[in-house]
Amino acid sequence: MITGQEKGVFSGAFETNANVFIRDSSINTPNTPQYDRQFFGGEAWLNVNYAIQGFTIGARFDMFNNSNLRNPTDSYSGIGIGRWFVQKTIDKLELSAGYLYDQIGSGLIFRAFETRPLFIDNALYGARVKYSLSENWNIMGFAGKQKNAFDTYTGNIKGLRSEGFISLGSEDTPLTLAPGIGFINRTISDENMAGVVDALRTYLDEDRFSPKHNTYLSTIYNTLTYRGFSLYTEVALKSKDIFYNPFAIKSEIVGSTIGKLEQKSGSVLYGSLSYAKGNLGVTAEAKRTKNFNFRIDPNQRLLRGLVNYLTPLNRQNTYRLTSRYSPAAQDISEMAYALDVRYKFSKAWSIGVNYSDITTLEGDRLFQELFTEVIYKHKRKWQLTSGIQFLTYNQEIYEIKSEVPLVKTITPYVDFLYRYSPTKALRTEIQYMQTKQDFGSWLFGLAEFSIAPKWSFEASGMYNIKPKKANSKGQIEKTFYPTLGVVFFNDAQRYSLRYVKQVEGIVCSGGICRLEPAFSGFRFAMNTTF
Amino acid sequence: MIRFLLVFPLFILMSCEEIPIVIADPVIPDSEKVVLIEELTGASCPNCPKGSAAIENILTKFPGRVSVVGIHGEFLSNPTSKSKYDFRNPKAKSLESWFQPWFGKPSASINRVKDENDMIMIDIPELWQAAVENELLKAHQMNLLLDTKFDEITRKLDLEIAAIPLTDLEGSYNISIFLTESDIIDAQSNGAVIIDAYNHKHVLRDMMTKFDGDNFGSALKKDAIIKKNYTYTLPINPNGLWNPKKMEVVVMISRAMPNDVSVVQTAFKKVEK
Repeated sequence: MITGQEKGVFSGAFETNANVFIRDSSINTPNTPQYDRQFFGGEAWLNVNYAIQGFTIGARFDMFNNSNLRNPTDSYSGIGIGRWFVQKTIDKLELSAGYLYDQIGSGLIFRAFETRPLFIDNALYGARVKYSLSENWNIMGFAGKQKNAFDTYTGNIKGLRSEGFISLGSEDTPLTLAPGIGFINRTISDENMAGVVDALRTYLDEDRFSPKHNTYLSTIYNTLTYRGFSLYTEVALKSKDIFYNPFAIKSEIVGSTIGKLEQKSGSVLYGSLSYAKGNLGVTAEAKRTKNFNFRIDPNQRLLRGLVNYLTPLNRQNTYRLTSRYSPAAQDISEMAYALDVRYKFSKAWSIGVNYSDITTLEGDRLFQELFTEVIYKHKRKWQLTSGIQFLTYNQEIYEIKSEVPLVKTITPYVDFLYRYSPTKALRTEIQYMQTKQDFGSWLFGLAEFSIAPKWSFEASGMYNIKPKKANSKGQIEKTFYPTLGVVFFNDAQRYSLRYVKQVEGIVCSGGICRLEPAFSGFRFAMNTTF
Repeated sequence: MIRFLLVFPLFILMSCEEIPIVIADPVIPDSEKVVLIEELTGASCPNCPKGSAAIENILTKFPGRVSVVGIHGEFLSNPTSKSKYDFRNPKAKSLESWFQPWFGKPSASINRVKDENDMIMIDIPELWQAAVENELLKAHQMNLLLDTKFDEITRKLDLEIAAIPLTDLEGSYNISIFLTESDIIDAQSNGAVIIDAYNHKHVLRDMMTKFDGDNFGSALKKDAIIKKNYTYTLPINPNGLWNPKKMEVVVMISRAMPNDVSVVQTAFKKVEK
């Protein structure tokens, strides 16, 4: 970071990924151009921001070069300015224009954000005004279009948000409230509506409806804190909106098919109660979602054109096998509960238990997980983390696969960290996933040797020890998926180079998931801030 | 109070009633123009019956004006656990790759016309009909006549093609000839279930040209007849496939320019009458 007394503050960040694709007959990657003919794919992002005298200006250069981020089985190329913005603060007023990131509440009705691993960048391209009404209350309004790669979608979004902070009680009994309220209006463009009408013309009378351009959403939320307790509640409503329901029955001239456009109102109720005191920490959450798919253009599918963000309730696992089956938040019909309890017995011993339960509103099982964790720290010399995960996962719904049973897994794991010296440490992981479904059982092992502060070396392998699924050669055989890598740190710079052979799986980021195909090749990544 | 805060602003906004949209079909002119739908599909594709239903609706709505080729390439085209047949073949796999980029199945090309994003494939079946209508509204530029002779003993198919441009056509052109088979009863994924006895129609079995077409000529002159002859011997399949009575030959003349591969005209005929 470079600073100057009158020249303001200049800052930035750079990130790049480079993949070399190596065809491998044991993984299934049909018709993927990177394996067939391109062999290389990568991305780069360079952010530059400058702040001076109440002004902040910024721009981001984006490059996608035969990238597989947008569509994992295809190639996407594009170079240009991915983002620019100008922001000025004048006393209580803040003005912004350009590509803006923001959200209302937890994002149930609006969230403009970026998640690079999933090619999500739905910044609002427009203008925003914020005004501080008082020390504790502010109001914000915005309008614009949603970003779509280097273009924008044609529909329009407008929104309002007001948030505040109220302190009640006394010093002995401090009670605080952080309420907020927000509204969103989305207007479907004539061009997008033409697509809706074209679709409705193919519907029989019983499935047709009179489509509306405008949808209105509102949300009210509050965080109440009292001593060790914190309660977050949010209620969001949506007026009649056109959305694609992949589970609805559509009548055809002969018989019926599954999936059609519908125009219905929706709602989400979300609550999170947490308590932390001494060595105990407890969090309980519940969420009810009904017909809350909300896109800038109803003709979009998958992760494209999403305006809002539905908070995931399941545990965000990090170990390779315990994170293999992760549920995407369901926007049509979902009832989810989660409970997380952590207790520290002493400096050496602590435990954690997490339980999550997700069904449809009709009661059909979607996901269930019991995750336990025991941590033992032996002075500063070594640390042992171990536990077991019991999981049930509805592959039919999350991966849209026909006549596949619920995936049921039992996964014990051990993570052992040993410090040879203040700078040298070895971390090892062993995980075993026992399952009779999908690919069958897996064994995973990892060894990571770090020499602080510069180097880290890793070797890991995932072995399909009891395979159930035929590979691209049509054979059911035990397959080993190795990874070898080295990471180099230099101040704020991080460089990594890995050889990866990876089975297909679900990739999730912040509760948003998609099916990721298998990969075989080299991966280089580098990021830095300045 | 909470309910009031939530509902009142919505009430004000929602009280602005929109003028209802009239859902009406365009008027399609009578002509000899035939549109080609090339659908990427697969037996293990849970959403593909939706594509097939959309195509059958289009065929019902525009009889004789639309021809269909169902391409079972690689992605989700492997047989299901209950399948008897494997519809995949090298030409289908090559075509599936040629049509990239596409986001999933079912996807369809309507006369290989690119949209504003340079995409040929449309991955929403409900939008295929409108794309077909757009093509039927365009000028008819070429008459395409077919004559087939099939020998039941040798299983040899002779195909005679005559193309008559109705206007001068600049640029280069390709010809593609597909052999499709319908009424094949076999398993098909459908959402969360597998339909045991699904009627597979328009399944691409092979091509009489290269997968990306043979050269048909360039700078075609109005009323100058171009004739081509092709032959193909149908294999004998003990499982009942390659049934000439259920097979169709589909001929397509398309532009072969760097940025334009759209179809000029299509014709189709039964292999055995």
